[in-house]
Amino acid sequence: MKHWARTAAILTGLVLSVPVWAAQGSLLRAENLRAAPAANAAIVVELAQGTAVDVVGRQGGWMKVRSGTKTGWVRLLSVRPGRAGERGVGLGEVAGLVARRPDASRVVSVAGVRGLSEESLKTAKFNVRQLEKLDSYAVSAEAARAFAAEQGLHARQVAQLPAPSTPNGGPAWGTEP
Amino acid sequence: MKARIFLLLLAAVLSSGARAYDLGDFLGIKPPKNGTERPATAGEPAPKPLNLDALTTLLAARAPGEEARVGRQVAGDLLGAAPLVPDPRLQAYVNRVGRWVALQSGDNAVKWRFGVLDTPDINAFSAPGGYVFITLGLYRMLDNEAELAGVLGHEIAHVTQHDHMKILQQSTLISALGQAMGRQIKGSDQVAQNLLGNGAEILARKLDKDAEFRADRLGMVYAARAGYDPWGLPLVLQKLAALPANDSRMALLFKTHPSPAERLDALSQAIGSRFDQLGGPDLASRFYRIK
Repeated sequence: MKHWARTAAILTGLVLSVPVWAAQGSLLRAENLRAAPAANAAIVVELAQGTAVDVVGRQGGWMKVRSGTKTGWVRLLSVRPGRAGERGVGLGEVAGLVARRPDASRVVSVAGVRGLSEESLKTAKFNVRQLEKLDSYAVSAEAARAFAAEQGLHARQVAQLPAPSTPNGGPAWGTEP
Repeated sequence: MKARIFLLLLAAVLSSGARAYDLGDFLGIKPPKNGTERPATAGEPAPKPLNLDALTTLLAARAPGEEARVGRQVAGDLLGAAPLVPDPRLQAYVNRVGRWVALQSGDNAVKWRFGVLDTPDINAFSAPGGYVFITLGLYRMLDNEAELAGVLGHEIAHVTQHDHMKILQQSTLISALGQAMGRQIKGSDQVAQNLLGNGAEILARKLDKDAEFRADRLGMVYAARAGYDPWGLPLVLQKLAALPANDSRMALLFKTHPSPAERLDALSQAIGSRFDQLGGPDLASRFYRIK
């Protein structure tokens, strides 16, 4: 059973996982469609910002996309779900370019279920029993390390990411070689 | 420049001999009597003699004991609004993943606790002192352990960066200074009241945008340091971006955070090609799926 689980884990790692929102996406910025998921891979074609793509897979920080008859790889963070101009929380909306239009057909109905609103947080009553329950689930550093080791996770050094110097300004990697 | 104004104000406070509120009153915290009593919700707090110790605590950027007490209050209130999902295996799983990611933050003095809240809302929260929560609504959108690690990493970063403490300290300080200088800073009482009337309400406050972007960057870094596929957090943000913006389950999230698209854009500018060589498993096979 355990062996089976491990094999499955390895297989899952090899197979390109397709994001849940999959299928339709569009490019947040002009991008080079590359033959392989690497910055130095051959350029298949240059794609303009807003180009509609079909997402067919992912590998690391790259997404495999299809645009017309061409298939190749672009950076994961250059793709947004949905078509350009389509409603959603797209980048156009961030830039104030696209007006918000309600689309009743896409609203997920959660009628009757009370969510966590500002009001419910304001009026919430301290729940000590739940807090004790929460405490009871806490695990030690040792237990966490053992849990990581079960699947071969090892701590590694990764430098902090610097804050972008010009937020929302300039091309991120559109001009990268 | 800001620091200079601050020092001038501080000097004014310390020399004025005027009255200010006690820090504990501002935070709605009483000295622990039996450890389980809910501190009084702020009514009209009565002015007290200037408490220099409290002011010092307040000015000290880090006060672990204070953080733990504030966090306990906030977490207890939040759990009053939404209890834990009654699934011990789920809670144990999230604590193991969360603790492993938190170990990578280097903040080992923190007592970390993680919980899945029983609400269809899509959100995640943290409170000072190591409390981290993810809602059932958001958990159900996840597909693997690396995505969970990324989401928890973002919240862990708010704790290690003391983001909520900073809001509390700022508002308390503004109010205390206003009182101490015998000058009414307009609306300062209301500010303090709004912030601290109920501990959990701090979670409905918007943090600085830069604090959110930084938590996204750190969340990815923590997950990467833990050995996971570092792209979990952005993949979750892409899923959120794919949902209709007016989905009521995300009302609070959108009120308190920049939009997912804006966060993705900020991440992309910070990362560039930096993570190109970083692999790592997403551990979809081990991900605890809720029936």
